[in-house]
Amino acid sequence: MQKARAAAVGIGEVPSGRFPERSEIEAAILACRQAILDAGMSPRDIDVVMPVGALASRHFNVDLVFSRLCEELGMLRSARMNVQVMSGGATSASMLALAEGLVASGLARNVLCVHSDAVGSLPKQAGIDLFSTTGVSEEWEAPYGHNMNAVGALASNRYMHETGTTDEEMAALCVSLRKWAELNPHAMFRTPLTIEEVLASKMVATPLRAKHCNMLADGAAAFIVARAEDASHITANPVYVRGHGSLVTHYTTSQDTDLARLGYEQAAAQAYEKAGIGPKDIQIAELYDAYPVFAMIALDGLKLCRGERAGAFVAAGETAPGGSMPMTTNGGMLSQGHTAVGGGIAVLVEAFRQLMGKAGARQVPNLVNAVETASGGTWMDSHVTILSKEH
Amino acid sequence: MTNSPRPLPHPSHWSAGYWQAAAERRFVVQECGDCDRPIMYPKRVCPYCLGERLNWRASAGKGEIYAVTTQLAGPPTGFADRLPYVLAVIRLDEGVQLMSNIVGDSALEARIGDRVSVDFEPAGDMVLPVFRLEKTGVSQ
Ligand SMILES: [Zn+2]
Repeated sequence: MQKARAAAVGIGEVPSGRFPERSEIEAAILACRQAILDAGMSPRDIDVVMPVGALASRHFNVDLVFSRLCEELGMLRSARMNVQVMSGGATSASMLALAEGLVASGLARNVLCVHSDAVGSLPKQAGIDLFSTTGVSEEWEAPYGHNMNAVGALASNRYMHETGTTDEEMAALCVSLRKWAELNPHAMFRTPLTIEEVLASKMVATPLRAKHCNMLADGAAAFIVARAEDASHITANPVYVRGHGSLVTHYTTSQDTDLARLGYEQAAAQAYEKAGIGPKDIQIAELYDAYPVFAMIALDGLKLCRGERAGAFVAAGETAPGGSMPMTTNGGMLSQGHTAVGGGIAVLVEAFRQLMGKAGARQVPNLVNAVETASGGTWMDSHVTILSKEH
Repeated sequence: MTNSPRPLPHPSHWSAGYWQAAAERRFVVQECGDCDRPIMYPKRVCPYCLGERLNWRASAGKGEIYAVTTQLAGPPTGFADRLPYVLAVIRLDEGVQLMSNIVGDSALEARIGDRVSVDFEPAGDMVLPVFRLEKTGVSQ
């Protein structure tokens, strides 16, 4: 078991959805401003800025790489480094791990991590085609019509085959997320959803129907990572990073030899061991979704369902508001919206928000420990991070 | 979108032999001349021993479906006029996996575990290996 070396001390986020009048840079500035103010800091307390790779606009991404945020937010001649971090949907976990390493080693004091993108405002076909090239091999898979919905569909097919999970149970996960989103003013979809509505929606890629699939969204979120020993002096509600585990299982979907599990069992075992915290000590799970199957696989791998199948556990309402294992309480990418890499950043920020006690109407009471998951590309990797109010 | 061409492979110099074989209606699997292991997809160096002596081994192109989906809506550009089409991850008898389309009259009935064998489909100036169910007319 390791002593916490880093903590999140401030968070910021703007609403997700379609905001064609809100540029990516404006959303990034507003999310960073909130995070800096939330931490009670001045911009000149930040010495490293880590902007996540943005997908919709190359021009905006180049601005992120070349320190535009340092200029916009008053960090010129105080920030020491601006460095882009990018591992797709896994970036929430990988950037947190890198920021932890920087502050733990003394290479940085306060790291500002930020994501902004506007994939929701892309024309529909451009959005589909963008996500048909993120982790889809141009030579080996694109010529056959592979695309992001098909990734979710193939994993669902294999997972349901191996576990006996039903269509109703998959739909129940979408409904659980929507119930949380109803309480989240930043979510794209807040109207009630039923299992019947999911199962009546149009079939897109068997066994996935339209309401099993996420919707692309514009959004931005930010958080600040500080040294663990500084954290309680910065804020009354720091969230300590206690353990991280991860495993890369493929680049192309077809090369994963265990699509029904990915790498979550191995990642979870590493993270639990490092943290000295086990499944029984977790009160809230902020799990990367995008499609229901991936949250199911994570629930199984993390051993959060008290020996039950994840599908049965979700169908019994255990992950919804009032359940024993509140899961992805911002509504996830299926209801808050899929902001590209930011879908995972939003899930991580929600974990911080809940442990900080700042989650408003959806605040889960009496929290100590949370688990967060992330995965990039076509679920190329499995990341598990344990977070705690205790260090 | 309907008239946009489907994306085609742009072979590298180390994968060209695979596509050349397909153009001749032959299916091959790359293998390492140092550790003898089969390799999919074709690589510049052996991912097991980093050897550079890579060869092509003739394959019967038979295996079974590991995962399968029928795409009915929201396809990438170039596939609108192919709906519905069947995408599958296939585990070849050599032990390696690849993605392909399941084609033929019974393709929409493809299920995990079904036996498949290779066929070839012209696409632009290329020929793509695709797969057919070995037994047709299997009922549910
Ligand atoms: Zn070798």
